[in-house]
Amino acid sequence: MAEHDLTSRLAAQLDRHLVFPLLEFVQDRRLYPEAEVMEAKLRLLDGTNMVEYAMEIHRSLHGTEDVPGDMVARRKEVHARLKVLEAAAAPLVTFLRNPQLVQELRPDRQYNLHMLHQRFQARLKMDTMYSYGTTTNQILLFTMQIGRDHIEAMYDNAKFLFECGIYTHAAEYLYQYRALSTNSERSVSASWGILASEILNQNWDTALEELNRLKEIIDSKNFSSPLNQLQNRVWLMHWSLFIFFNHENGRNGIIDLFFQDRYLNAIQTNAHHLLRYLATAVVVNKRRRNMLRELIKVIQQEQHCYKDPITEFLECLYVNYDFDGAQKKLMDCEQVILNDPFLGRHTEAGNFITVPLRDEFLENARMFIFETYCRIHRRIDISILAEKLNMRYDEAELWIMNLVRSSKLDAKIDSVSGTLIMSTDHINVHEEIIEGLKKLNSRTYLLAKNIVEPAQLAQQAARGD
Amino acid sequence: MKTATKHPALARVSSGILSRPNSPDLAAAAAAPELQSLGPVGVKEQPLTMSSSRFWTQGDSDSEEEEEEELESEQGSDSDDNGGHDDGKRSKVQNRYLRTEDDDSDESDSGHRVVRSLRDKRNEEMKSIVDQMRNAMKINDWVSLQESFEKLNKHLEKVARVNESTEVPRMYIKALVLLEDFLAEALANKRKMSSSNSKAFNAMRQKLKKNNKQYEDQIQKCREHPESFEEDNADGKDADEDEEEDEDSDAEIEDPEKIAADSDEGEESGEDEPWVKKLTKKDKLMDKQLLKDPSEITWDIVDKKLKEIVASRGKKGTGRIERVEQLTFLTRVAKTPAQKLEILFHVISAQFDVNPSLLGHMPVNVWKKCVDNMLLVLDILQQYPNIVVDTTVEPDEKETQKGADYNGTIHVTGDLVAFLERLDSEFFKTLQCTDPYTKDYVLRLRDEPLFLVVAQNVQDYLERIGNLKAAAKVALRRVELVYYKPQEVYDAMRKLAEQTEDSGEDGDAEAGDEHQAVDDNRGPPPFVVIPEVVPRKPTFPDSGRVMMDGLMSLIYKYGDERTKARAMLCDIYHHAISDEFAVARDLLLMSHLQDGVQLMDISSQILFNRVMAQLGLCAFKAGLITEAHGCLTELYSTGRVKELLAQGVQQSRYHEKTPEQERLERRRQMPYHMHINLELLEATHLICAMLIEVPNMAASTYDKRRPMSKTFRRLLEVSERQTFVGPPENVRDHVMAATRALNKGDHQKAFSVISSLEIWKLLRNKEHVLEMLKLRIKEEALRTYLFSYSSCYESLSLGQLTTMFDLSESHVHGVVSKMMIQEELHASWDQPTSCIVFHSVDQTRLQGLLFQMADKLSVLVESNERAYEAKTGGTLEGVPPRRRGDGQDSSNFGKWQENFVSSQGRQGGNRSGYSGGRGGGSGQGGGYQRNDRGSQGSRGGYGGSRFQDGRGRNQSGSSSRGGDGIARMVSLNRAVRV
Repeated sequence: MAEHDLTSRLAAQLDRHLVFPLLEFVQDRRLYPEAEVMEAKLRLLDGTNMVEYAMEIHRSLHGTEDVPGDMVARRKEVHARLKVLEAAAAPLVTFLRNPQLVQELRPDRQYNLHMLHQRFQARLKMDTMYSYGTTTNQILLFTMQIGRDHIEAMYDNAKFLFECGIYTHAAEYLYQYRALSTNSERSVSASWGILASEILNQNWDTALEELNRLKEIIDSKNFSSPLNQLQNRVWLMHWSLFIFFNHENGRNGIIDLFFQDRYLNAIQTNAHHLLRYLATAVVVNKRRRNMLRELIKVIQQEQHCYKDPITEFLECLYVNYDFDGAQKKLMDCEQVILNDPFLGRHTEAGNFITVPLRDEFLENARMFIFETYCRIHRRIDISILAEKLNMRYDEAELWIMNLVRSSKLDAKIDSVSGTLIMSTDHINVHEEIIEGLKKLNSRTYLLAKNIVEPAQLAQQAARGD
Repeated sequence: MKTATKHPALARVSSGILSRPNSPDLAAAAAAPELQSLGPVGVKEQPLTMSSSRFWTQGDSDSEEEEEEELESEQGSDSDDNGGHDDGKRSKVQNRYLRTEDDDSDESDSGHRVVRSLRDKRNEEMKSIVDQMRNAMKINDWVSLQESFEKLNKHLEKVARVNESTEVPRMYIKALVLLEDFLAEALANKRKMSSSNSKAFNAMRQKLKKNNKQYEDQIQKCREHPESFEEDNADGKDADEDEEEDEDSDAEIEDPEKIAADSDEGEESGEDEPWVKKLTKKDKLMDKQLLKDPSEITWDIVDKKLKEIVASRGKKGTGRIERVEQLTFLTRVAKTPAQKLEILFHVISAQFDVNPSLLGHMPVNVWKKCVDNMLLVLDILQQYPNIVVDTTVEPDEKETQKGADYNGTIHVTGDLVAFLERLDSEFFKTLQCTDPYTKDYVLRLRDEPLFLVVAQNVQDYLERIGNLKAAAKVALRRVELVYYKPQEVYDAMRKLAEQTEDSGEDGDAEAGDEHQAVDDNRGPPPFVVIPEVVPRKPTFPDSGRVMMDGLMSLIYKYGDERTKARAMLCDIYHHAISDEFAVARDLLLMSHLQDGVQLMDISSQILFNRVMAQLGLCAFKAGLITEAHGCLTELYSTGRVKELLAQGVQQSRYHEKTPEQERLERRRQMPYHMHINLELLEATHLICAMLIEVPNMAASTYDKRRPMSKTFRRLLEVSERQTFVGPPENVRDHVMAATRALNKGDHQKAFSVISSLEIWKLLRNKEHVLEMLKLRIKEEALRTYLFSYSSCYESLSLGQLTTMFDLSESHVHGVVSKMMIQEELHASWDQPTSCIVFHSVDQTRLQGLLFQMADKLSVLVESNERAYEAKTGGTLEGVPPRRRGDGQDSSNFGKWQENFVSSQGRQGGNRSGYSGGRGGGSGQGGGYQRNDRGSQGSRGGYGGSRFQDGRGRNQSGSSSRGGDGIARMVSLNRAVRV
């Protein structure tokens, strides 16, 4: 079952924290032994500051209440560090919490910095002291300058919060950091941080905004090496999967993004497995059929380094015209979709748990098969058709009838013999020739007119003289 | 080879040989080298005969003596052959010696007979020159007289060589006398002369004066007894003297080869020589000093001597081999490792100097010695890490005086990479020059591990000292020796390297013993003993791929642009020969090498061509016909494959190459073992073309659409013109025969003809490839059949087709379905009965012609419009946008969309598009094709840009067959990968 699982390949391109949802999903689907997944999680958590969570997992994994000593120690350490960082960023945070003061900030960053730096100490100190009734300690802090150091401290703080799993706050700080910061390198990092936080908070709209912002940065920025840029693009595409398969307009978004030349190249160079998502998106999206051709070209090119049932399905259908093969692949596709953390997302409607993407995919894929099949046939046995479409006979007949009625299908049903007869429609060659020559006529006429008229005018003018 | 000489010394020497103690088995073979080395000794004992030759040397008096001796030694080595195989004549030789002592004009010498004709010829020539001079004198033409005189002098050398004598031909003396007289006369009655003439006259006067000084007594004699000079001027060839040597003379170049040829211990002879030679040098004194008392030799003495030898470089009369030997000697007596290193560098460059011309190659034995020296250098560098080799720092005068125990860094000037590259190109050159069918070639090839070991060590050294850029260069050299080897050949090389090492060990041991013996006999052991620390055995990873990967990563990281590009090409080549088409293709496309290949140097372009050829073969083996065709077609479109791949020179009918060009081309040739089999390549190309072109031709009976492969079409036309078709002989005939069969849908015959080709046995997975080929032939036969005969059928059953073409039902179904979808075939399946029902939509002949007319008319209108626009400068109002602009997209997309979106599944809605759903034998592609032909026809009117445009369009338009995209991709698509 796990043969088509992409988790490990995806995880390499994701942030540590973004991998958790994938692991959760994998755990749910029971693709791997539970203990292994837990182990993986634990190792993943090692690099973060989410010690509580780690402890919890450790407990459930080993079935004991004991927690290793280093974890406890680490928790202490984390708390201490958090305090320090918060203290360092405190003045600015306090300042920013004051809406009245925030209004004084201007879009110009240098100005802001200057303002914070200069006027702040004198006026703000008193202000805040009185208005918030702060403690002496804090007053002391305020006597210090608020400068670059504090802003950077806020970044560190945000990063630490993020590592602790407090994404909302982290995002908040990072937004403000980005507004104030003059360090472009770090603002890009902040943007990544915001994107991750928003994804983890499931704020898809803001995440999408952030995604677009990052995309612009990546595309416009001068990277030291193309390799770096490529890497950034690959990251971006991986992270975007979260958004695109959750956001309502995501299916168009993914096609738009992935089919851009640079991103398509990135996929072909370094992230072949993304083809699965692209293929699914194209199949599911009714309005973007025109991309199918390009997609198939890409799939064929990358055939040797990536294939899974979804791409194979398209290949069977549109390259080899092997309908039975396509049918078989389609069955596999269902499993693949169900086991994919992005594609197999559940929604609960009433008591049923459905996987909307699976249903759509199967429906569309069936349609593909049917269309192609009809295109090359003149007469089809409905029972065969029903079999190919995974339907019962009368179901299929009804389905076809609907298609015919809605004039999507130019065919008639021969009920006696139980066949569907496609009506062939060929353009008359004569008509075509006439069509071609008609245009010539008008063009020649226009040309002649354009030439003759000025000449006549000139003649008249000459005569008039 | 020189014939028997009458060298007086030789006699003594050769008799001496017999009594010389020598290892018995070597006696015969060793005779030659011994002789050679002893030659000069003999000379030394013959000051009398030498004295007259002293007058010969034209060089400045400074180097006169030294030169002389070198000449002498040349002579000695020339004569050694005689000594070698003329054992029987030895007594005679001795006699001769006796005779020659007192009788100068011995005409009955044994060598006389052998070279008679050549000698005659030379003398004849000389005579004619003298005649010319006479004529010039008559008309008082000093310019031509001067020329003739120079010619005469030059010729004199040749004659002297032929005659085996240093006695000046009397004819020459006579000419000199004549000239002198004429000059005196001219000087006396000072006639008026043109400026150039007088200039020549003055030059002549001086030259003659100088020249005649050498022959004073002979001229005197001639004036006294003109009659004796009258008669036998043709054969003045007697005196037993030395000959004058030009520095570029053949003898010198031949010399080392001889050494290689006739001795297994060329090395020793090489090392022996200096010892003996040293004795003979004019700077005997110093050498004696060096020899007699090793402890007294100081750094200064060695340094001084080194400078002296180095300064002699390029001077006239400096023997190149001698320089090497002298320097080699110096390495022994070097006082410090640094000095030894410095001298070794000089030795190596002197060894590279041995071969003066660009065309020839370095003698093999010198090359081997050079390799040894390189290893020695590396030993020193490894042993004394404080010695730094570079070209940037100007070392102190006394830098190398610092001894082995000196702690700071010592700078020595030298460039290891340059040496290594030179070594490599010399190796390459020997292979180029050697006949590949001889044993020499194979022997030479076996030296490859020798080079690889040096390269490996140099690379290690460079990596150790952190000069990674240079290391990358060296790595490239290694890559270039490995990249064309498939795993089998690589394994063979690996085995060879191990074997040679084993046998080499024995050989070395022996050589070492003798070496020791020689040392004991003749001189002190080297002062600076360097143990062999650098491995003498190349280490190879298990597979060529691993080795390539290792080297590649180094090059990619640190190499410069050219190095990287070449390495990349080699990498692609290697992937292609290991049947990894996809990897090779991706590498090629990602590297963007195609874009810049025109700007690269020629050898890289050749490499690129080789890569393309190999990629084509690889694609073919993998069954990717269109890709293979895409790769190969360009190579074959010009008909100059050999030239493009540098595998032989092709005579072009249309333009003659200048000798210069030809020489350049010859220098670029690939050695034989790197060749790509041209027959296989041609077969691959033609078969691919056949598989693509035959259905294509069948599909377009009415409109001759642009052929996919023009080369193939041309060949086919030629073969069709033949009145009688004989059984196929070469590759081309075979493919043509197969084409004829395939045209009729006879896949069995087509396959049997193709599979009867000899070349398939060159393929590793022959069965697999043939199987693939069989399948493809069947498929294309099916397609051809359907194209050709569909108009005759109302319906065809699937079963019939499967039996006809021996294909599985699903396969036939797939192929036919594809044709239907791409509208190549106007038919549809009748599913219940599983047969194909054809729609009679084929256009008639009349209709086809009408289409052509319509196209031509529209082109006409368009050109009118353009003409109008050009005239008025404005656009026509109300004229619909040009078809070319929008037709393509809308119809293409329309079609595609329609395929999937409208479930009507038919082409109803597309009528408005220009070529949308047109019936007839061809689909969309055809429509555009014809446009193109039209525009081609009227192209004359307005330049080629539009034509080009049309062509580009055409290519994209014709991609109606699935999978076509990839083929073009090789040259066009996907070029924009990051």
